Amino acid sequence: MNTTATAAALTGIRFSYDGGASWALDGVDLTIHAGEYVCLTGANGSGKSTLARLIAGLTAPDAGDITLLGHRVFASPDADGTAAGANPAEYRAARRGIGAVFQNPEDQIVTTITEDDVAFGSENLGLARDTIGERIADSLDAVDMAAHRQDDPTRMSGGQQQRVAIAGMLAMNPAMLVLDEPTAMLDPAARADVLRILDELHARGTTIVHVTHHADEAARADRVVRLEHGRIVGDRRNEADHSADAGTPASKPLPASVRSSAAPHRQSHSPAGSSATSSAPAIAVSHVSYQYPGADRPAISDLSLTVNAGETVAIMGENGAGKSTLARLLCALDKPTAGSISVAGVPVAVDRAIGDAADTLATAAGTVSSEHRHHASRVHALNRRQRERLRSVVGFVMQHPERQLFADTVADDVAYGPRNQRLAEPEVAKRVTDALHLLHIDHLADRSPFSLSGGQQRLVAIAGVIACRPRVLVMDEPTASLDADATARIHELIRALNAQGVTVLIITHSFAEARAVADRTVTLGGGSISTDTANAAAAGAIDDHRPAFSAGTKSGANVSAPTSSASSAGNAQSGGITASANAATVSSGLTNTAAPDHDAAGSLGGEAARGKRSLIARLDPRVKMVAFLAMMFTAFAINTPLQLALGAVVVAGIVAASGVGPLRLLRSVHMFLAMFVVMGLLNVFFVRSGDVLAQLGPIPITDDGVTIAILYALRFALVIILGAILLETTTPTELTDGFGSLLSPLNRFGLHTQELALVMSLALRFLPTLGAEAKAVADAQAARGGTIETGPLPARLRAMTALCVPMFAGAIRHADNLSLALDARCYEEGIRRTHWRELRVRGRDWAFCAATLLYIAALVALGMLA
Amino acid sequence: MSVSSHTTNSASTVSATSSRPDTAHSTGVADSGRWSTRRIAMYALFVALAMATSFIEFPIIPGIQWLKYDPSGIVALIAGFAFGPAAAAIASVLGFVPHLFMDPWGTLMAVLVALSLSLPAAFIYRANRTRKNALIGLIAGAVCALIIAIVGNLIVTPIYAHMTVAQVAALIVPALLPFNLLKFAIHGVVTFAIYKPITTLLDK
Repeated sequence: MNTTATAAALTGIRFSYDGGASWALDGVDLTIHAGEYVCLTGANGSGKSTLARLIAGLTAPDAGDITLLGHRVFASPDADGTAAGANPAEYRAARRGIGAVFQNPEDQIVTTITEDDVAFGSENLGLARDTIGERIADSLDAVDMAAHRQDDPTRMSGGQQQRVAIAGMLAMNPAMLVLDEPTAMLDPAARADVLRILDELHARGTTIVHVTHHADEAARADRVVRLEHGRIVGDRRNEADHSADAGTPASKPLPASVRSSAAPHRQSHSPAGSSATSSAPAIAVSHVSYQYPGADRPAISDLSLTVNAGETVAIMGENGAGKSTLARLLCALDKPTAGSISVAGVPVAVDRAIGDAADTLATAAGTVSSEHRHHASRVHALNRRQRERLRSVVGFVMQHPERQLFADTVADDVAYGPRNQRLAEPEVAKRVTDALHLLHIDHLADRSPFSLSGGQQRLVAIAGVIACRPRVLVMDEPTASLDADATARIHELIRALNAQGVTVLIITHSFAEARAVADRTVTLGGGSISTDTANAAAAGAIDDHRPAFSAGTKSGANVSAPTSSASSAGNAQSGGITASANAATVSSGLTNTAAPDHDAAGSLGGEAARGKRSLIARLDPRVKMVAFLAMMFTAFAINTPLQLALGAVVVAGIVAASGVGPLRLLRSVHMFLAMFVVMGLLNVFFVRSGDVLAQLGPIPITDDGVTIAILYALRFALVIILGAILLETTTPTELTDGFGSLLSPLNRFGLHTQELALVMSLALRFLPTLGAEAKAVADAQAARGGTIETGPLPARLRAMTALCVPMFAGAIRHADNLSLALDARCYEEGIRRTHWRELRVRGRDWAFCAATLLYIAALVALGMLA
Repeated sequence: MSVSSHTTNSASTVSATSSRPDTAHSTGVADSGRWSTRRIAMYALFVALAMATSFIEFPIIPGIQWLKYDPSGIVALIAGFAFGPAAAAIASVLGFVPHLFMDPWGTLMAVLVALSLSLPAAFIYRANRTRKNALIGLIAGAVCALIIAIVGNLIVTPIYAHMTVAQVAALIVPALLPFNLLKFAIHGVVTFAIYKPITTLLDK
C-alpha cells in the first residue's frame, strides 16, 4: 500500500531508560529504504532492541526525528518546546503498516485458537469479515501453518508459535516487519524455518528489520548495521552470500583461560580405565520408563545409564527426546512408571519387578510402557527421610532458574537452601560467600535480585543451588540464551565443582559446550539413549562453529521461554507444597475442558472438527451462558423428588444434545465427587426429623436426613454437570466474546467492557502458562528444601514468599511482553473493532431460551404444588 | 464497583501517574484517561494469577474440612496496592469467573468477600502510600471481609446444606470466626511480606 522509497528515517536519536543518567541510544542516524532486509547487530546492551522498538513505532525517543512509512511520528523538541514530541495520530497511522515480532514466542499469543489469534490484528484494524478470512488463509499459508488453523497455539512448539506470531503480523499486511531476535529461543530446525520464511517475505517486497546475534543470520541480509554503546559503528552491504565473517559477536572465541583449562582438567577426571576402582556410581538408572499422565507415548522408555562419581556427563538430544524428564526423575520430582533410579546412594525409585527378575524385564520398550498402566504403583518412591537426604545431596538447576528468585537481597536468596537445611547462621553465611565467590558475583550480595541483568540473575540462581553443596548437580540448559561471558563463568564453575569431586549432569543443545565441560556425551532420541561417547578424543577442539545456544543472547529483563511441557504435565511428587502442584493440574485441566475441540481438531483438521459440532456447542454463547446460569442458580430451589426428576430429565437431555461423552463428563466432574460425600454426610447429621434409622453416638440418623442428603447431593450434581457441559462445549474465545457482548450495555455507565472482555480472554489464555510456572517454581524451591507444610512459622512464611514472589514476577514479565505484542497488533482502547467470529442469535437459540423458561416455570409450579 | 476511569484530564492525571501501569516514552497512542495496552496486560496477568491461585484450596483448621483456604485474596490485595482499587475489583471479580460454572452461589459470596477485603485496603493505601497505611488497609479490609464472610455464610450455607440460619449461626464461634480470622491473617502477613520485592520489580 505504501510505496515510499524510505521505510524509516531516524536522525539524532537519543534514548535513556534512567532519565538521562545514561543513554541507551545516543546520536543515532539511520535510514532504511523500502524493500531492504536490514540486520541490526551488536553486543548485549548496545541498544539494538531499543532501536528496533523505535523503528516499529512502539516507543518514542527522548530526542530526535523519526519518520516511519512517510509519517512524521516524532519531531525533536524545539528550543521553545512548541509543537514537538510524539504525534499520536501519525504513530497510529504508521503502526498500521508495521509488524513487530519479539524474542519470546509464547507471550505474543493472545488467544487459544490459531485462526482467532491471526485474526486479532485485522480485527483491530477494523477490516471487513471477508477480508479477514482471506488474510488468515494467506498468512497461515505463508508460514506453512495452514494445517494448524484450528489448533491451540499455546501448546505448540516455540518454532510453530513464532511462525503463528509472524502470521499474525502478515494478516495486517505490513509494509515493514521488525523482528527482535525472533530465533533466540528456537532449536536449529525451527530457526531455519523462520529464516526461510523471512527470505520469502523479503522476496515479496516486505521491508525487513531483523535484530540478531548470529553471524549466519546477518549474512542473509542486504545490509548489516552494527551498534556499540548506543551508537552505530558499522553499516555495510552484504555483497554475496558468504557467511560467518569475523568480528561479529557470535563467532567470538571463548576466553583463552577457559580454553586452556578445559583439556588438562578433563583428563585428570576421565573415568576411562579408572572407573572400576571408584566406589558406587553417583547415578544409576536402570530400565526406566516414564509417561506423562494423558500422553499417548512414553517420554522415556527403557532407559539405562550409569554415571560414576566425579564424572561430568552431557545429555544431548532434540526437543522432546526426554532430557528434561530424565532430570526431573533423577531429582524425584516425578516418579518413573517402570525401572529403578539411585542417586548418590539414595534409592530414588525402586522397581519391584526389576528387583525380582532383572533379566526378564529386559524387554522391548513398547511392552514396558503399555504394561505400566496396569502396574501404576509397582515403582516404589522415596519416603520422607530419604527425600530430605536426596535434597541435601542433589542440586537441580532447572531451565531459566532466574525465575525462582524471590528475596530482597542476593545473599538472602542464596541462603534459602542452606537455611532450609537448618544450618547455623555462621555456616549459612560461609556457604553464601563461597557460592557467590565461585561464580565471581561477590559484589552483588546486597543488591536486589530483581535489579540485575538477566545474565547476572542466572548466576545468582545457580549460586543458590551451589550453596546447598550438592554431591550431584543436575543442570538443565544452564547457559541457554546467555552471552559468552556468563557462559564461560558457568563452564568454569562446572570444572571447579568437578575438581572437588562433584558429579555433574548437564543438559545442553551445544556440541561445543558438551565437549568443553563433559567427560562424555549421552544423546537421547525417542526416549532412550541413541549414542554414548567419551569426549577425550575431541579434547581441545572447541574453537569451531559455535552453535546457536551458547553464542546466544544475554537475556534482558523480559526474557522468558515457554515452560517445558515436562513441568506442566507432571503430577505432584515434590514433597512439600502439594497444594500448589495440584492447582497447576487443576488450572490446566480447566482450560483443557474449556477448549474441547482443539484436541479433536489437532488430529482431524479444522473443517471436519467444526462440521460435527453438537447442537449445544452451536448455540450462541450469550444465550448459552445466560440460560445455563439461570438453570444452575434455580437448581438450588429443587426441594422435592418430583422437581429433582424434572431437573434430571432436562439435564440428561442437554447432556445427550451436547455430544459430550459420559466418560469425558465424569472426568471433568470427578473432583466434586468428594465434595458430594462431605456435604451429604453433613446433611445426614443435621436433620433430626423423621424416623430414626440408626444412632451414631449422640447423633440420630433419620430417614428424612438420608432423603435430604441424597436430594441435596443430586441437585448439586445437576449444577456441576450443567457447568461442565457449558465449559466442554464452549471455547474460551466464545466465552469471552459472549461475556463482552453481554456486558456491552454497561458501556453507558463508563465501564470499559471491550477491555474487560479482552482482559478476561487474555487471563484465560495465560492461566495454564502460570499454572505450569507455579509448578516449576514449587519444584525448584522444594529441591532447595523449602516447604510450607512443616517447620517453624518464620520458615513457612519464607517458603510462602519463595513461592509467591516468583509467581508475581512471572506474571509481570509476561505482562510486559504481552503489552508490546498488543501494541504491535494495533490494539487500542475504544477503537472500532470488527469480529472474525460473528455472534448471531438464531432460531435454535430462541427455542433454547423458551425451553429454559418453560423448565424454570415448571420447577416453580412443582414447588408450589408441594 | 468503580471500574470506570473518566476521561476528564485534570482529575485522572494525578492518580494516573501513581497507580497506572504505564511507562514513559509513550507514543501517545494510548494515553491519559484510557487503558493502555500495558494496563490491560497487567490486569490480565493478575486476573490469571487470581484464577490460578483460586484453585489452590485446602483446609487450614483441622476438623473443619468444608471451609477451605485459597490464596487468591493475596493477588487481589497486591493488585490493589500496585495499581489501585479498580485493579483490585477486577482481580476479585474476574478471578472467580471460572468457578461460577461450578459453584454459582459460593462464587458470588467469594467475590463479595474478596471485594470487601481488597477494596478498602486499596483505597486506604492509595490515600497515602506508606507501610503504616498498608497495614491499616489490610486490617480494615480484613474486618469488612470478616463481616461479609459471616453474613454470607448465614445466607449461602442453608442453600447447600439443610440447615436453618440459626444452626449456621451456632457455627460462627466454633468454625466461621476462627477460620476467617486465620484466613485473613495469612493473607495479610503474606501480602505484607511480598509487597516490597514486587514493587521493586514493577518500578524497574
